[in-house]
Amino acid sequence: MIEFDEKNKKMVLKMVYYGPALSGKTTNLLSLHDKLLQDGRGELMMLDTAEDRTIYFDLLPFFFQAPSGLKIKLKVYTVPGQVRHDATRKAVLQRADAVVFVADSRISQQAINAESFANLEENLALVGLSIDKLPLVVQFNKRDLPDLVSEDELRSIWNSAGLPVVMASALLGWGVVETFETALEALFYAVDKKMGLTDRYQVDKENFIASIIRF
Amino acid sequence: MREAAPYIEFIIGEEKRLANIVGKPEIEPLLRSALKLGLSRAALLDEEGLPLALVETDDCSCRTEPERKRLSILVEGEPQGTLLLEAKELTPAIEAVARLLQDALQLTVTNNLKRMLTTEVHTSVVKESYQQLVATNHRLMESERRYRELAAELEVKVEDRTVELRRAYNRMLQQEKLAAVGQLAAGMAHEINTPLGFIRSNLNSFKKYQGRMAEMLGLYRLLTSKGISPEIIRQQTETRWKELKMEFLLEDSGILLGQSIEGADRIANIVAELKGFACLDGMDEQPMKLNTELEQLLAVMASRFPPDTRVKTELQDIPAFVCRVPLMIQAFANILDNALKSRSEGLELSVATALDKGQIVVTITDNGCGIKEENLPRIFEPFFTTREVGSGTGMGLTVAREAINAAGGSIEASSTHGNGTIFTVKLPIKPLGESWKTKETA
Repeated sequence: MIEFDEKNKKMVLKMVYYGPALSGKTTNLLSLHDKLLQDGRGELMMLDTAEDRTIYFDLLPFFFQAPSGLKIKLKVYTVPGQVRHDATRKAVLQRADAVVFVADSRISQQAINAESFANLEENLALVGLSIDKLPLVVQFNKRDLPDLVSEDELRSIWNSAGLPVVMASALLGWGVVETFETALEALFYAVDKKMGLTDRYQVDKENFIASIIRF
Repeated sequence: MREAAPYIEFIIGEEKRLANIVGKPEIEPLLRSALKLGLSRAALLDEEGLPLALVETDDCSCRTEPERKRLSILVEGEPQGTLLLEAKELTPAIEAVARLLQDALQLTVTNNLKRMLTTEVHTSVVKESYQQLVATNHRLMESERRYRELAAELEVKVEDRTVELRRAYNRMLQQEKLAAVGQLAAGMAHEINTPLGFIRSNLNSFKKYQGRMAEMLGLYRLLTSKGISPEIIRQQTETRWKELKMEFLLEDSGILLGQSIEGADRIANIVAELKGFACLDGMDEQPMKLNTELEQLLAVMASRFPPDTRVKTELQDIPAFVCRVPLMIQAFANILDNALKSRSEGLELSVATALDKGQIVVTITDNGCGIKEENLPRIFEPFFTTREVGSGTGMGLTVAREAINAAGGSIEASSTHGNGTIFTVKLPIKPLGESWKTKETA
């Protein structure tokens, strides 16, 4: 959690899209930005890029106001995937409330996925977050391409690890909202458990998700 | 593993107030241009409605209540600031100016925010990299310090070991000297045994002779005391004289005793030689008659020659060599010993001395097994031996070189494998009293 201002009833949450280079993290945010109505969200802010590759991060903010007056601001970030930007990834990962791991579905990319996931685990530990407690959703992106690892295989591997898995093609725009929704739900449960969203601030899960995801 | 956390001071995503993002000097010029386009008042208000920047026209002819317009300025999509504009009348032109002003301010805010975020990430990354460098540097310095300590310890250890080794080496040298003394003593014992053997055998024979001589003398004494006629005495004693072979007896006794005296003299000589070896160190330098000593050495070692050995000596007239004699004798004994062991039979050993360019040159040549080329540079090394374990200490030639070097000389070996070896010893001619000890320190 980035911030919780009890007096002004403002809560700032952070969701991070993590994953190997060129797996489609920015494309995910662009797609969300295109699909969701402007009510409930801000503009997509893309910091400087080098040859269209993220070197800092992208930010897409969402807003929600509960009947109790509590304002929730959710900042959705991407990290740079290239190995060399590890320090930036670590900085962005600070105080994250949920992580979406965007993996490349192609058979050739599985080792790189594993490497990036190991990097995620390592960096979470470095910034003091526990991968076991943090809401985490895995998206297998680029399902529109050939030579993919089969969905059954991916599900059998990742579901056995207890992680929700979503198939997607961010480029074609499918699976993106579903991924975000799955992550939002996990995020809600985690924050609710910690802060008592439902009991203390009358935040309704359905309402929370529906007000952020508006078509 | 959480050491990295404190290095990041900025929390990416931390909320920012409008006042942190834009400042009065940036905004005022924009607002002023708006006044020129017909607005009477323009202000940017922060989250609390307090003005960050405010401009208005000088003529406060506020006869009529102006019309007001409020426009939002967003930070990360959230309205955080308010652009407050006043004009006499909100004409479409004023509306357009208002929209333009809002866009310009919004652009400034967004760009400033982006720059701030970029700077924050950049600063975090630089700070972390710096901390990592500092940590790495610290680790490197630490390890350098450890290696320095190790190196210092190592020096001490090497010194200790060197002293230890030196001691062991000296002990070995001493043992080798003692072993050589033992070997020579064994040779001498053999030399002593031979004369001793024939002295004993001669004395045994003489003891028998002495018995017969006593009998002969007894017969004379008996016969003369009884008053028997001389003729009868002569006849009787003559018969007995012949029976006892007295002629031979008397002649042989002289030979036996002469031989025995000769043997005793030989023993005395050998014992005198042995005395020379009794103490190897701490003796003074003396003139050494090299030729004589080499001949004696060959004589003493003769018992150990392999069968069918031929020895050739070619000893030229050379001056006496001043040195610690017993050490030099031992050096040559070791070289000769090496030659003796080079062949199991039919050894041809040649010992030559000569004067060459003011140096004494001693050449010892054998026709033995020779030394392999790869071993040649190593034969003077301590403990180097090609003989079976237990049969050679590998110190013999080392001891020889030590002694020769200490006396200011040099030793060289040349050999063809299977074709014999030549040892060449060169010794300087120096007067007595020029101490070799000055060279010992080297």
